[in-house]
Amino acid sequence: MIPPTPSHVRCSIVPPYLLARLAKLEAPEHQAAAAAARRALVELDPIHHARATAPRDPSRGAGTAVVLALRRTIADAGGSESLPGQIVRREGDPPMGDAAVDEAYAGLGATYELFSEVYGRSSIDNSGLPLDATVHYGQQYDNAFWDGTRMVFGDGDGEIFGRFTASLTVIGHELAHGFTQYSSNLRYQGQSGALNESISDVFGVLVEQRELGQSADAASWLVGEGLFTDEVEGRALRSLKAPGTAYDDDVLGKDPQPATMADYVDTTSDNGGVHINSGIPNHAFYIAAARLGGNAWERCGQIWYDAATGGRVPTDCDFSLFASVTVEAAIARFGDGSPEADAVRYAWREVGVL
Amino acid sequence: MTRIEVSRSGGFAGLTRTWSVEVSSTEAEERWLPLLEGADNSGVEDAERDRYVYHIAIGYREVTVAESAVEGPWKELVEWVKDASSSQRGEDSGQESGQAPG
Repeated sequence: MIPPTPSHVRCSIVPPYLLARLAKLEAPEHQAAAAAARRALVELDPIHHARATAPRDPSRGAGTAVVLALRRTIADAGGSESLPGQIVRREGDPPMGDAAVDEAYAGLGATYELFSEVYGRSSIDNSGLPLDATVHYGQQYDNAFWDGTRMVFGDGDGEIFGRFTASLTVIGHELAHGFTQYSSNLRYQGQSGALNESISDVFGVLVEQRELGQSADAASWLVGEGLFTDEVEGRALRSLKAPGTAYDDDVLGKDPQPATMADYVDTTSDNGGVHINSGIPNHAFYIAAARLGGNAWERCGQIWYDAATGGRVPTDCDFSLFASVTVEAAIARFGDGSPEADAVRYAWREVGVL
Repeated sequence: MTRIEVSRSGGFAGLTRTWSVEVSSTEAEERWLPLLEGADNSGVEDAERDRYVYHIAIGYREVTVAESAVEGPWKELVEWVKDASSSQRGEDSGQESGQAPG
C-alpha cells in the first residue's frame, strides 16, 4: 500500500539544515530565496523537522525552525538622526544594561511571539523577516516611528516624555505598522490611515496583555502607559477602553480621541487625524473583547488578524467596510450567530459605524 | 511684520504643537518665502508611519512638509522658529510657552 503524500512534502525536498543556511543569506540577490527558506522553515512541522534533522544534527530539536526565524538586531543612533546607527545587540546576545536597547530587544521578541504563536505568522511579513530597531535616535526626540524597514525610538525630552521603549504597547504598535505594511497596506490618510493606526494600537495592547497574562477585564487598555514623566497629568497617550480620557494636562491639553462616529474629527493635520479618529475602531475592538471576556488576543484578536490578512481590506478601506470585513471574519471562523460574530457586530453598532 | 508659524502634528502621540515668530516683511520675502515657493508639494506617499507632519505658514502662504523632508534650509527654518518662539512673548507662541508642564 502506498502511504499518503505528507503535507510537508516541500520540506523533504530541501533539507532543513540547508533551509536554515539559505534563510540567513543577506545579499540583495538572495533575498527571495532567503524569504522562501524562512517561510518553509517556519511552516515545518516541528516533529517532522526533528525527525528530518535528527540523523544529521542531533543537537537540533523540535521547534528549532521557529527559533531560527526570530532574528533581532538593535542599533544605537547615539543621539544622531542617521539610520540605522551602530549595531549593539544581535539575536542571542545577553542584555547589555542599556534600558532602551534591552526593552527594544525584549519587545520585538514579545511581539514576534504573539504573531507567531497565536496567529501562526512568521514575523511581520509571514516570511521570517529579521526584526530591526534603532534606539537613542535624535536629541530629546519625543517620538517613535516605523520607517518602512525598522522601528526607531527617541529618548524623549525628559520634561514631558521619557524614553519611548518604556511601554511594550509602543514597541508592539510600531512593529504592527510593519505587519500592516505587509498585509492590508492601509493608506496612511483619513479613515484608512486611522484604521492603520488602530490596528497598531490593537496589536500593541494585545502584545502587552499576553505578556502580562491579563484577560480583557483585567487589562488597562492603555497605549503608551509610562511614557509621560511625573510632570504630566495623564496615564497614557490613548485608551481603547475610554478614548478621550488618557490625559488632561495644562500644557498638552486633553486627549482628543473620539469613541464614536458622533464625535468624528474632520481635520487636515496628522494625515487627516489618523491618531485621532483611530479612537473609534479602537473602541469597537475593546467593546467586542470586553463582551466576549477572557483573553482578548485569542478570539477577538484572531478575528482582527483574519480580517487584516484575508485580502478583503483594500488600501483605501473606510471604517464601515472594515467593520463588515471583521464581522465576516468572525462568521467565517466562529459561525453565523456565534457569540463572537454577535459581539463584533454589536461593537461596531455601539460606536456608530454599522 | 510677517508672521511665520510652524505647526507640528502627527507622531506616535498625535499631539499638535505650534510655534510662531514675527519677522520683518523684508526678511520674510527675501529669506523664507523663496523656500515655500520652491517646495515640492506633490505629497509623495512613503512607508513611514508615526512621523511628524510640519505645516509651515508664512503670511498667507503655507505648505505641508513631511518630517523626513525637513532638511537643509527647511530644518534651519523649523529650528529657528522653535527657538525664537520660546524666547519671544509666551502668549504669541501657541502651545509652546516654554513652561514646564504640570
